[in-house]
Amino acid sequence: MSKEQLEIGAISKPRFEFRTFGKEFNEAAFLMSRLSVPVPEKVWERFSEEIYIVSKTNDINNTKIRDGKMDIKTLIQSVDGLEQWNPLMKGEFPMKAEILTQEVFPAFKVEMPELTKEIYTLEEFLEIIHNHPDLQAVRVEKERYGYMVNDTICEYANVWINGALVVSLNSESTEVEDIKKTITDLKLEDAENINYLQAIKRVIGMSNKKLAN
Amino acid sequence: MAQESNPRFEFRIFGINLEKLTATLDKLTPRLQTRKMNSIYLLTAGNTKNNIKIRDGIMDIKVLEQETDGLEQWNPFLVGEFPLKGDVIKTVVFPALGIVCPVMDRDQYTLDQFLKEIISIDPDLSVAFVKKVRHGYMLNNCITEIAEVLVNGALINTLCIESEDPKQVLAAKKMLGIGNDTENVNYPLALKRIMGLASLPKKYWESND
Repeated sequence: MSKEQLEIGAISKPRFEFRTFGKEFNEAAFLMSRLSVPVPEKVWERFSEEIYIVSKTNDINNTKIRDGKMDIKTLIQSVDGLEQWNPLMKGEFPMKAEILTQEVFPAFKVEMPELTKEIYTLEEFLEIIHNHPDLQAVRVEKERYGYMVNDTICEYANVWINGALVVSLNSESTEVEDIKKTITDLKLEDAENINYLQAIKRVIGMSNKKLAN
Repeated sequence: MAQESNPRFEFRIFGINLEKLTATLDKLTPRLQTRKMNSIYLLTAGNTKNNIKIRDGIMDIKVLEQETDGLEQWNPFLVGEFPLKGDVIKTVVFPALGIVCPVMDRDQYTLDQFLKEIISIDPDLSVAFVKKVRHGYMLNNCITEIAEVLVNGALINTLCIESEDPKQVLAAKKMLGIGNDTENVNYPLALKRIMGLASLPKKYWESND
């Protein structure tokens, strides 16, 4: 079976992902920049602002809102320490209560709040989150630099979680072996695979685990 | 509970990019020392008057005495060294946190027992593990510092000016070019904002929506 040729920014079958977070990955970032093939200019530098909704009782569904659009991904499997995530739901605000009840809140795995309106703006939705004891909205800003190493899509990112800075590196591909080689080439064998949900939970104190460094 | 020092007036800011302020400070006065230290802060959403931290196995609490001219006056007192008596935890620590003290099974608690058996299981309590690299200065007779602070592993920088004399702090602020519109943010508030226990400044959210 031939490998799928990955193209940055293009839709592919669900990819496996290695990602880690810490205070610095200078050596890995340098290696990533040197080992990368040239990448399209549109991914050289990207900036985004997102709101993640984290839940005390959920570690498998990753919910984020960017530009008023909601995107929920779900963890479908882990292979050799790599995680494969699949889109679970996409929606846009204002959002119908029916969608919140049937798709969004079940993904948080929390007690369903009472919804009294038929449709909710983003601000109204965030108010519900604010009032729920098991949920938290977290502001995340990203400054991402794209690379391609061993046919895997890579990035180095500065990530501000509620204003505090962490650094993240990732490698993703449909091919597990390509990611594993990239982890070795970047000398990241000792770095824990930490997804966004876990990193945010660790920084905000919802989890007492540490970041990779 | 011994008095550590006279209550000082304090002005503090937090942010990622404090290079310009650091450069100004470096021009005005020499850097005197750099210290590294680790602290554990105990936080509750409702408590805004007490800054409760543990460093080197010793707990101390700073109480917000008053706010004047945009400065905060904090009064520090020593709670004690671990192992800490259950009675002290019940009558000093939890009242300062502003929440109900759980039933305690021990007469005294080591730091590890305190964190595992009392703090980590309380849904109303959050813990911030904070690592600081603090660079000390004296500016206009004020204790002044720039520090890199890792909050549960995430970086933020802080600048602080403090003195028993509020006028000296205000003058030092002016020397650094810090205006009256700059918010005075104390440690508990900054930590609570990062950890989602306090709202981010309105300006912060509005700028991106």
